[in-house]
Amino acid sequence: MGQAATVGDAATPRERVSSAPSSDMAISVRGLTKRFGTFTAVDAIDFDVRRGEVFGFLGPNGAGKTTAIRMLTGTIAPTAGSALVLGDDVIAKPEKVKRRIGYMSQKFALFEDMTVDENLRFYAGVYDVSGAEFAARRRYILRMADLEGREDELTANLSVGWKQRLALGAATIHEPELLFLDEPTSGVDPVARRHFWDLLYDLADDGVTLFVTTHYMDEANHCHRLGFMYAGRLIAQGSPTEVRAAYAPDGATAGTLPSIEDVFVHLVTAHRDRQEDGA
Amino acid sequence: MNAAITRILAIARKEFIHLARDWRTLVAVLVLPAVQLLLFAYAISYDVRNVPTLIVDQDLTPASRAYIAKYEASDLYDVRGRVANIEAVRESFERGAARIAVVVPPGFARSLARGDKAQVAVLVDGSEPNSALVGSTFSRALNEGYGQRIQAQWADARGIDLERFGRIEPRIRTWYNPERRSADFLIPGLLVVIIMIVTTQQSAVTLVRERDQGTEEQMRVSPLRRTELMVGKLLPWTLLAFADMVAIVALSTAVFDVPLRGDVSFLAASILVFVFCSLGIGLIISAIAPSMESANIAALMISFLPGFMLSGFAFPLDSIPTVLQWASYLFPGRYMMAISRGVFLKGAGFAELSDQLGYLVVYAVAAITLSSVISARRQR
Ligand SMILES: Nc1ncnc2c1ncn2[C@@H]1O[C@H](COP(=O)(O)OP(=O)(O)OP(=O)(O)O)[C@@H](O)[C@H]1O
Ligand SMILES: [Mg+2]
Repeated sequence: MGQAATVGDAATPRERVSSAPSSDMAISVRGLTKRFGTFTAVDAIDFDVRRGEVFGFLGPNGAGKTTAIRMLTGTIAPTAGSALVLGDDVIAKPEKVKRRIGYMSQKFALFEDMTVDENLRFYAGVYDVSGAEFAARRRYILRMADLEGREDELTANLSVGWKQRLALGAATIHEPELLFLDEPTSGVDPVARRHFWDLLYDLADDGVTLFVTTHYMDEANHCHRLGFMYAGRLIAQGSPTEVRAAYAPDGATAGTLPSIEDVFVHLVTAHRDRQEDGA
Repeated sequence: MNAAITRILAIARKEFIHLARDWRTLVAVLVLPAVQLLLFAYAISYDVRNVPTLIVDQDLTPASRAYIAKYEASDLYDVRGRVANIEAVRESFERGAARIAVVVPPGFARSLARGDKAQVAVLVDGSEPNSALVGSTFSRALNEGYGQRIQAQWADARGIDLERFGRIEPRIRTWYNPERRSADFLIPGLLVVIIMIVTTQQSAVTLVRERDQGTEEQMRVSPLRRTELMVGKLLPWTLLAFADMVAIVALSTAVFDVPLRGDVSFLAASILVFVFCSLGIGLIISAIAPSMESANIAALMISFLPGFMLSGFAFPLDSIPTVLQWASYLFPGRYMMAISRGVFLKGAGFAELSDQLGYLVVYAVAAITLSSVISARRQR
C-alpha cells in the first residue's frame, strides 16, 4: 500500500512531457478530455508517441481507451485539450489526417456478405487507392493474410484468425503512416495471435507507427512503450522494463522484476483504493 | 472531387452487392409489387364479369344504339334487356334481376355531334356490395369507347328521384374514375405505398446494421464524408424504386388498362424526391433505433400504417378523423398519392401538381437534414 502514494509522482515512470505538443511526434496529446454529460471518460491526458513506435495502451474496462482513440482518429470531438496526429491538428482538421491513418477494431469491420476481394476493393475505393496501386496492395495483403486462392470466398465463411488478418489488410490498404488497433486480438487463439503480432512487427519494421490497446499482458511486453489508463486518467507510462522496474520491491534484480500483469493489477487496485479513500 | 466520386461509387457498389446477396430483400422489392398487383387484379376481374345490366335508351338515335352496342359486345356486361323508364329499373333491382342500368338520356346524339360532353347516367344497385367494382369497370369500358367526351354521372339507385331523370341529383363523380375503390384508383396508390414501405424499411436497417458490425465506425475513421455515405446508399435504392415504378406502371397499363394520362417525366421526378423522403425517414429511424429489431419494427409502423391509412390509399383523407387528417401531413405519402393519381388519372403534370412536389422537396430536405443532425448528436 505504501507505494500507492507514489504512483503518478515524478519518481514513477510517468515521463515528463513538455507542455507544448510536438509536431515531430506521431501523436502528441495535451490535456485531452472527453465528457459525456457529467461523466468524464477521458480526463486531461498528456502523452507523446514517437514515429515508428509500437505504443501499448492498457487499462481496465471502461478506462477510456476507446474514447481516446476515437478522438485521435477524428471520429468524435474532444471536450477540451489538443491533439496533433502526424503533425496535424486532428481536432480542427480531421480530414487532413484521415487519409494517413488506419484503424482496426475488435469488430474487424468487414462486410460478411461480401467476398474477401470485395471487402478489399470497397476499402480501396473509400481511400481512393488507384487501380495499379490497388492491384499491388491486394496481392501483398492476400499473401500476408494467407488468403491467396480464397479471394472469392465470403468473409462470413472465414474463421476468426483469417478475418482478423483480412481486417488488418483492409485497415492498411492505403498504407497508413499510423495505425490504431483497438483490441485487435480479442477472441483469437494464441497461435493466430502470435502470427498477428508478427504481421504488426512487419508493419513496424516498415516504419508504421502502431497504437494498440489490449488486455493481453504478453502483448504489452511486445510494445516499445506503454501507457496505463485508469478511470479516464493516464496513470503511468514508459517502456515495459521501466514500468516493471518502477514498481519492483526494493532490492529486486533484473531477474526478479514484477510482470506487467503484476504492475497492471497493482496500479489499478492502488488507484481504486485511493479513490475510495478520497470519497 | 474525383476522390469523392470514387468513394460514393464504392458505397453504391457495396450496397448493390448487399442487395444481390440478400435474395429475400430482392424478392420483396421486385416480386412483391407484381404479386400484389396480380392478386388485386384477380379480385377485381373475378367479380365483374357478366354483370346483369339493363338499358334505358331515351335518345333512340344511331349514336345511342352504337353506344349501347358496346355493352352488348362486352363480356363484362350481360345485357338482360331494355326497359322504358327508371321505374322499371327499380323493379328489376328489387327482384335482383339486374345490378346496374345504363341510362342514355335524350339529347345524347346532339351533344356528341356538337362536340360537347355527352351525359350518361349509370344507376347502380346500392345494396350490392360490389357495385363499386362494377362501376369502375363501367368507367373503363366507357372511356375506351368514347374517350373524354362522355361524362358519366351515376347514382345510387336508392337515392334517385324516379319521376324525372332531369331532376336527379346523382353523386356525380368525375368522368375519369367514378368510384374511388377501382383499380384505376388503387394501382397508382399502390405504387406509392410499395415504394414507401420498401425504401423506408431498407434504409432504416442499413445504418443500424453498419453500426452493429462496426463498419460505420470504420467508415468514420476514413476520409468518407457523411453526405457521401448517404448519397452512395441512396443511389441503389433510387434505382430500385425506379425499377419498381417501371414494373408497376407497365403491369398496370398493359394488363389492367389503368390509364397513364399525364406527364411521365414529372411522375418520375416526383418519385425520385419521394424516394428521398422515404429514405430520409428510414435514416431518422436508424439514427434513433438502438437495434436492428427496433429499427425494423419502427420502420414497419411508420411506413406501413401511415402508408395505407394516412396517404389516402385505403380511405379518402377527408373521411378520416380530424386528428388523423393532421397526422397525415407528417408523412410524405399523401403528397405523392396526389401526384401519382393526378398524373395517372387526371393527366396532370407540373402545372397542376407543383405544390405537391414542392412539399415533397421540403420534406426530403428536412428529413435528410434531421437524420444527419440526430446521428451527429449521437456521436458527440
Ligand atoms: N457515447 C458515449 N456516451 C456516454 N458514455 C460513453 C460513451 N462512450 C463511452 N462512454 C463511457 O466512457 C467510459 C470509457 O469507455 P471506453 O469505451 O473508452 O473504455 P475502454 O477503456 O475502451 O474500455 P474497454 O476495455 O471495455 O474497451 C465508459 O464508462 C463508457 O461507458
Ligand atoms: Mg474499448
